[in-house]
Amino acid sequence: MSELIRMEGIDKAFPGVQALSQCRFELKTGEVHALVGENGAGKSTMMKILTGVYTKDAGSIFLKGKEIEVKNPRAAQELGINIIHQELNLCQHLTVAQNIFIGRESRVGKLFLNDKANEAKAKEILDMMNIDINPRARVSSLTVARQQMVEIAKALSFNADVLIMDEPTAALTDSEIVELFRIINDLRAKGVGIVYISHRMDELKKISDRITVMRDGTYVDTVNTKDVEIKQIISMMVGRQIYVEGHAKNTDKSQPLVLEVKNLNSGRQIKNVSFDLHKGEILGFAGLMGAGRTEVARAIFGADKYDSGDIFINGKQVHIKSPQDAVAHGIGYLSEDRKRYGVALGLDVATNTVMASMSNFSNKIGWIDDEAIQKQTDKMVAAMSTKTPNNKQRVKNLSGGNQQKVIIGKWLTRDCDILIFDEPTRGIDVGAKGEIYKLLNELADAGKSIIMISSELPEILRMSHRICVMCEGRLTGVLSAQEATQESIMHFATMRETMEQADAEHNNQGETK
Amino acid sequence: MKAKRLIAVVITLAMAIALFAGCGGNETTTTTKAAETTTTAADGETTTEADETTTDAGEEIYIPVVSKGFQHKFWQAVKQGAEKAADEFNVTITFDGPPSEKDVDVQVQMLDTAMNNNPAALCLAALDTQAVLPALEKAQELGIPVIGFDSGVDSDIIVGTAATDNKAAAAEAGHQLAKLIGEEGKVFVLVHDQTSLTGIHRRDGFLEAMKDYPKIEVLETQYGDGDHAKSTDLAKAVLSANPDIKGIFGANEGSIAGCINAVTEMDLVGKVQLVGFDSGKILLDAIKDGTVAGAVSQDPYAIGYEAVKAAVMAINGEEVPEMIDTGFRWYTADDLDDPELQVILYE
Amino acid sequence: MSAKSIAKGGRINADTMQKFLAFSSLVLLYIIFSVVTPNFFSLNNTIDIMRASAVQGVLALGGTFVIITGGIDLSLGTVMTFSSVIMGILVADMGVPVWLGLIACIVTGALCGLTNGFFIAKMKIPPFIATLGMMMITRGLSLATTGANNKYFTDYPGFRLIANGSVTDSVVKAINPSWSIPIPNAVLILFGMAILGHIILTKTVFGRYTFAMGSNEEATRLSGVNTAAWKMGVYTLCGAFTGVAGILMASRLNSAQVAQGAGMELDAFAAVVIGGTSMSGGEGTILGTIIGALLMNVLLNGLRISMIPQEWQWVATGAIVIFAVYMDIVRRRKRG
Repeated sequence: MSELIRMEGIDKAFPGVQALSQCRFELKTGEVHALVGENGAGKSTMMKILTGVYTKDAGSIFLKGKEIEVKNPRAAQELGINIIHQELNLCQHLTVAQNIFIGRESRVGKLFLNDKANEAKAKEILDMMNIDINPRARVSSLTVARQQMVEIAKALSFNADVLIMDEPTAALTDSEIVELFRIINDLRAKGVGIVYISHRMDELKKISDRITVMRDGTYVDTVNTKDVEIKQIISMMVGRQIYVEGHAKNTDKSQPLVLEVKNLNSGRQIKNVSFDLHKGEILGFAGLMGAGRTEVARAIFGADKYDSGDIFINGKQVHIKSPQDAVAHGIGYLSEDRKRYGVALGLDVATNTVMASMSNFSNKIGWIDDEAIQKQTDKMVAAMSTKTPNNKQRVKNLSGGNQQKVIIGKWLTRDCDILIFDEPTRGIDVGAKGEIYKLLNELADAGKSIIMISSELPEILRMSHRICVMCEGRLTGVLSAQEATQESIMHFATMRETMEQADAEHNNQGETK
Repeated sequence: MKAKRLIAVVITLAMAIALFAGCGGNETTTTTKAAETTTTAADGETTTEADETTTDAGEEIYIPVVSKGFQHKFWQAVKQGAEKAADEFNVTITFDGPPSEKDVDVQVQMLDTAMNNNPAALCLAALDTQAVLPALEKAQELGIPVIGFDSGVDSDIIVGTAATDNKAAAAEAGHQLAKLIGEEGKVFVLVHDQTSLTGIHRRDGFLEAMKDYPKIEVLETQYGDGDHAKSTDLAKAVLSANPDIKGIFGANEGSIAGCINAVTEMDLVGKVQLVGFDSGKILLDAIKDGTVAGAVSQDPYAIGYEAVKAAVMAINGEEVPEMIDTGFRWYTADDLDDPELQVILYE
Repeated sequence: MSAKSIAKGGRINADTMQKFLAFSSLVLLYIIFSVVTPNFFSLNNTIDIMRASAVQGVLALGGTFVIITGGIDLSLGTVMTFSSVIMGILVADMGVPVWLGLIACIVTGALCGLTNGFFIAKMKIPPFIATLGMMMITRGLSLATTGANNKYFTDYPGFRLIANGSVTDSVVKAINPSWSIPIPNAVLILFGMAILGHIILTKTVFGRYTFAMGSNEEATRLSGVNTAAWKMGVYTLCGAFTGVAGILMASRLNSAQVAQGAGMELDAFAAVVIGGTSMSGGEGTILGTIIGALLMNVLLNGLRISMIPQEWQWVATGAIVIFAVYMDIVRRRKRG
């Protein structure tokens, strides 16, 4: 085993954020090296620098001992560094062979494609991987797992020495994972260095040789997998004290229940989720990406259809079929993707503020009372100290934090009693975060009930009166503010179905908590 | 001179639009632009007026010619005839026509504009008599004589009309077709449309002529918009459904072109007799190689020429006959070299 | 932050100035033609320009709503024809009173629009396809219902006056027979519809949602707005405007011309886009559309009256449409 990649002293700053500072990473030939950390720890940024998507601000990268500059993704490929993204980048309408060699097709003369040669070469690579995929099959006809294998084949066709896999098992079934691990083991035996990014702790144990932990854009440690317990890795991932200014207060259980969700199901994304929400409570929803938290929120809000489940508001069962119904029942939803689902960027602050409650600002024939709208907007802008030159300002010219305030204003204007915040501080700078937190606490004190989905554990711990933790569509645990710690949340967040059974046998401590 | 004026106008417009679309709300830049534009406008003015003084000795007599179409070779031949007459009688004409014969509203607007340009007389091939009536009434009010051309306008305001007798011409084509097929068998007529007067007249002229032949069976009339591709498809469909068809009459240039395509593609040359209307390169070539037996031709050049000539007569207070028959002629491959025909036919 | 805010405020003023510029360029174009071309500047010609803008303008007004939602309606031209054909059948053939025929014309347009809206909003068919289908359907129906015969309103002498008469002239003549303000009714109707459109677009919930859907349809839906229903409403309104255009067209030609109309939607879009409405939705004004329609017709009339050969008229118009829209894009890019 010789050194393949060494990254040292890597710095990278984005406007307003120091994404990486003095980070390092090392990869040997024939090694599977796992890279772990919370969302936003800097894993992806690190790998994007290695593959030429971003340029580093400082530091150096060595390939087989020689310093290299990776200017763009193409250059990375030529150096034998390849990445397989979580979202697959294949042309669904083309065949396997066409996808593998896109941009590098064998030709007859300059103009004509030599499909036979392409297919033969594709077959060769697929055979080498020991997988049975017809090179002429359309990619859209393959399962996600097989598509991923096509991506791996594509990477290998570049004679990859380094293969980076970002959450490769996120969409795979257990048997598919076994197949993937077989291929990874084969590649390792052939001397390929593999960087394996995953949130799934049990997998790391199975497949990786070493683990590097990152946190908040810094390097924590690199350990040999066989020497550590999963628990230790988790505490390395979350072990920081910033933001955590004591715990939020516990739920006041004497307050009435405003929302009860029972046995909510929707395909593979939501599995039998039940929970309740008290008046004036902030209920945190924690979990890793893809755990199904947003899906639950959208289902309750009527934005997506769900298969089964009952929803009660103030004790009465309701049937929510569209966002319109949800709003009528006093539920407001603040999407994680503000620009796509939250605001109309091209319209002004006033219009966005009254968007959900236009009927309160117009008469029976639909005539708008502009004066009332301006008054209400002024009120909301003042209440949240939104920074905007005036109400006529287009929302796209506001900062993320102020856009969020406009959306909160929209739902307050609608007088919603239940507010679902999906990643309320995503893309918002640190100063504005504090303001949003203050606002959430004020809303809860004023008797609004809040569901707050967040991928940032410190945020969850700081704000939530109670915490629901999800993993792969299931609600794996509910913690009170007092008992919640980053470790306990991570425990439930990584509690996969198969693991949970094993876990239950060995220590039932988690369940009783 | 026209080109110069055109350039002047286009540049001025471009500047104006540049100003209109504005450049990012910078006040200083915009002001400068405005100044530039004004200058250009002044330039344009000077050039234009200079041009006019050189050409216009004495009072200009202006006769707008508003036709039914513009792009079609037929109308281009009309235009040439009109321009010839304009040269001969020393008058200025403009030749305008809507992009398609369906655009009645465009023609009405062209008429309105022409009327505002102080014309001495007006030549008009009306797409729809009712639609142009307000404009005609206005012309009458202003004492502007109106000459019709190509097809008749049903109004006393029209001083005279220079046109082909389409019914008679189509009847001639019908009789010729009957002769070619031995006065028996199946035939049909492919017409450009069922709304225009020429379409109706040519269809009816042909169908009436066919009444003289009891042994000829006339199939359903087809309408192909004068569009080559559409007419081809229609003709092929009818030929496939009735393999025993003996003859087809294509009632305008596009229609007969479709028939020619159909017969050639289905390898029926010689088995199905074709008779056409008008001229044009496709038809002339087909007549030369025998695919089409013969055709009736209007005389578009004469139509244009006679219309402008009649307009000049009307301006000078001379008597204009109500119908100016511009003639038609049946021609076959034998006649193609006839110098008299060369003037009538257009490629 | 405050300095930044002031800069942003300045941009809004630039927007206002933009509208002023659009109008002033129309005036400028008018002045240029008046100077360059001898017979351009006259009351009659000016009125004819406005009259020529009427049908295109009313179509463009309806189209403005649809385009602001980010959609398109390719059936404008043929639905207009179909509406007037239905009116022609009812009035000319069946002897239905004219006023009822007028209502039927508008209702027919609205129903076609509603159908468009239904397929687009409920069946999720892309607007381009749904309205393309409607264009073909109404084109066929116009011919099929009439046997391809034009319908004439010659038995109703008053019908022609709907567009061609002049209420203003009659009114002032009644006061003093020597006075005259011969603005054709078609132009008055155009301006009336424009004011109506402006009010709907800026003062009502309907208009506000039109913008909202064009700006971010999903965010609007997630705000609890029944976007499907409002969208159907927008297409229906557009259809109703199209019906009004059908009345103007029929009255102008004193007939329902069964074969015309296809292609007129493109002229209407040109007016909308020149007027600064974004084809991608979320932005647009009625005033802009009216200016766009007038600009197109000033241009066309001016070129014609300058005796520019027809082929060059087309070249110039096409070039200017592209140029105007390009400049608009440049302006937007600068504004950011």
